Amino acid sequence: MIAQQIINAVSLGGVYALLALGLAIVFSIVGLINFAHGELMTLSGYALLASLVLGFPFPVAVLVAVSCGALAAVAMERIAFRPMRGASVTSLLLTSFAVSSLLKVVFQNGISARPQAVAMPGWMTGAFSFGDFTIGVGPSISIVVSALALIALEVFLRRSVTGTAMRAAAEDFDVVRLMGIPASRIIATAFLLSGLLAGLAAMLWVAQRASVDPLMGFTPVLKAFIAAVVGGLGSLPGAVAGGFLLGVIEVLLQATLPGAIAPYRDAIVLSGVIAVLLVRPQGLIPAVRAQRS
Amino acid sequence: MPSLYRLHRAALCAAVFGIAAISTASAEEIIIGAATAQTGGLAPYDQPALAGLRMSLDELNAKGGLGGKYTVKLLIKDTRSDTAQTATVAQELIDAGAKIMITPCDADPSISAGQLTQPLGIPTLTLCGSAPVLTGAVGDVMFGTYPADNVQATAVADFAVSEGRKKVFLLTSPDSTYTANLPEYFGKVFEKKGGAVVGRGTFSMGQPDFSAEITNIKGLADKPDLIMTAAYEPDFPAFIQQLRGAGVTIPVYGADAIGTPTIKALGKLVDGVVYTAAGYAEPGSKLEAFNAAFTKYAGHAPESTYEVNGYEIGLILDQAVKTAGSDDPKAVRDAIAGLKDFEGITGKITYAGTDRMPLRPVALMRYEGGEGKHVQTLIPDAADVPAP
Repeated sequence: MIAQQIINAVSLGGVYALLALGLAIVFSIVGLINFAHGELMTLSGYALLASLVLGFPFPVAVLVAVSCGALAAVAMERIAFRPMRGASVTSLLLTSFAVSSLLKVVFQNGISARPQAVAMPGWMTGAFSFGDFTIGVGPSISIVVSALALIALEVFLRRSVTGTAMRAAAEDFDVVRLMGIPASRIIATAFLLSGLLAGLAAMLWVAQRASVDPLMGFTPVLKAFIAAVVGGLGSLPGAVAGGFLLGVIEVLLQATLPGAIAPYRDAIVLSGVIAVLLVRPQGLIPAVRAQRS
Repeated sequence: MPSLYRLHRAALCAAVFGIAAISTASAEEIIIGAATAQTGGLAPYDQPALAGLRMSLDELNAKGGLGGKYTVKLLIKDTRSDTAQTATVAQELIDAGAKIMITPCDADPSISAGQLTQPLGIPTLTLCGSAPVLTGAVGDVMFGTYPADNVQATAVADFAVSEGRKKVFLLTSPDSTYTANLPEYFGKVFEKKGGAVVGRGTFSMGQPDFSAEITNIKGLADKPDLIMTAAYEPDFPAFIQQLRGAGVTIPVYGADAIGTPTIKALGKLVDGVVYTAAGYAEPGSKLEAFNAAFTKYAGHAPESTYEVNGYEIGLILDQAVKTAGSDDPKAVRDAIAGLKDFEGITGKITYAGTDRMPLRPVALMRYEGGEGKHVQTLIPDAADVPAP
């Protein structure tokens, strides 16, 4: 049972890590916490639903959904954030809230306020067992996908020119621009990556909850924000560490707290976050160059 | 002369306001304020219920209005599913002259609106809020309309016992009165009738990770043969998806909030899930006729029994105004509280002798192959229903 709970924790932590990473990539480059990140997930969720309704095979539908998330992120940058470039951090933050609220209302009025059921293929609700130990297919996929995405991102950032430029931009954007690398390309790539991560996280999230609704992005973006702050704002390894830490703490508390205290789980988690920040104000793995915030 | 002047002015004022008062009275208009959620988490419940209410008010207006003489003007304001916002819009509706208040499908916002209407004596009806503590928390102007949680839970428990189920696991969430209390009412009845509660778990609404709780269920030494929860969307789909995903096949029963198209659309995943409704449209029943009429009115079939429940609220108000013989809020309130065996669409509705939560039939339904199948309709024995 303990092994089972560890799998649960890693699986949830992996999703949080993907989300936190999406926030951190954008933050490291433009100093913006994009609170509309959750709506990218919602959009991917609806894209998945639409593709399935249109009769696409499941893998194609997933591909369409993830691409929609990525493209929507780029569009969001082009339409909402590019005109605000150079604006204060507060203005950017408010812009992201505005985009988030706007999209929620569009989903509610344009699609439906009611959650829409997403029929996941039967094999995804299956489970395989080793002795008296069962692992669900869902959590396994979740762990594998998170791990692969994290590795792929790491390779991209280390091995490609754009990736290297992005890492440099996170340290000192002005110098990167002086080197002749176009700022717009770096920023657009950052949003594209964050959209991809949001799309992937959305698939794992939807696979767990079996429905999509206009407000589904709120909780994950909040968790991602907490994870990113605990990990160290703007630090990519920090975001991953923060995501896993949050997932592990949540599952362990849910598993072990006695019934009477269980409702205070979130309060305990957040107190833990405060404790971490008291000891390490810059987060677990601070960013190389602390950003304005 | 100043005193005479003042007197003169007072008389003038009285005359003007008198005329004003007479002119509104001669129009015989009654304002009903609807503080309901058009957006947010409660919207999927409030909107269908409100659609049913609008339909009945439109029909009544065509026949002269409530009690045949008070044309209804329905003012609707969005609460955004927020408790504080509900109080704000309720106050706006009161200021606009609402003489009857309609509140959302949940106890907490309904109570916040009720706290404003109670001192003014404005009769207040929740669309489908079903927590039995709801009316007591506000006072004598507050009425439930849907079968109360403790009544629904008793119906489901009676059924579970009759099926021979012995051990139940209760999954609750302290985040709302409905999700916190309904399974506990079930537990009380179930234990009284010989069953046992072998475990309890909690969840946070809106957080889709149930893995830890499900592992706990799997690890129980005393295996339950039933899981009872009042979780609804989006939590219920997440729970059942992960429960079945973890290889647990124990049946899951719930209540009215999972009788929705979203849950139905989960298909095979929810096979065997038992839930409740305010009624079942048997062939030739009044409810079947209503469903046809509603489809014509709204352009789509009713999604659930919230529509008919909303429609019946219109009928209840009509009857109450007829009995009261006026639109005086206090007289209307007394008339609602005195209703006995009122013929609604789903069956007989009684307020007399209750704590303003109606006695009315509960239909038990079960999902099979993506359809809601009728199991039975019953009015639980009042002696079995646990106190709120």
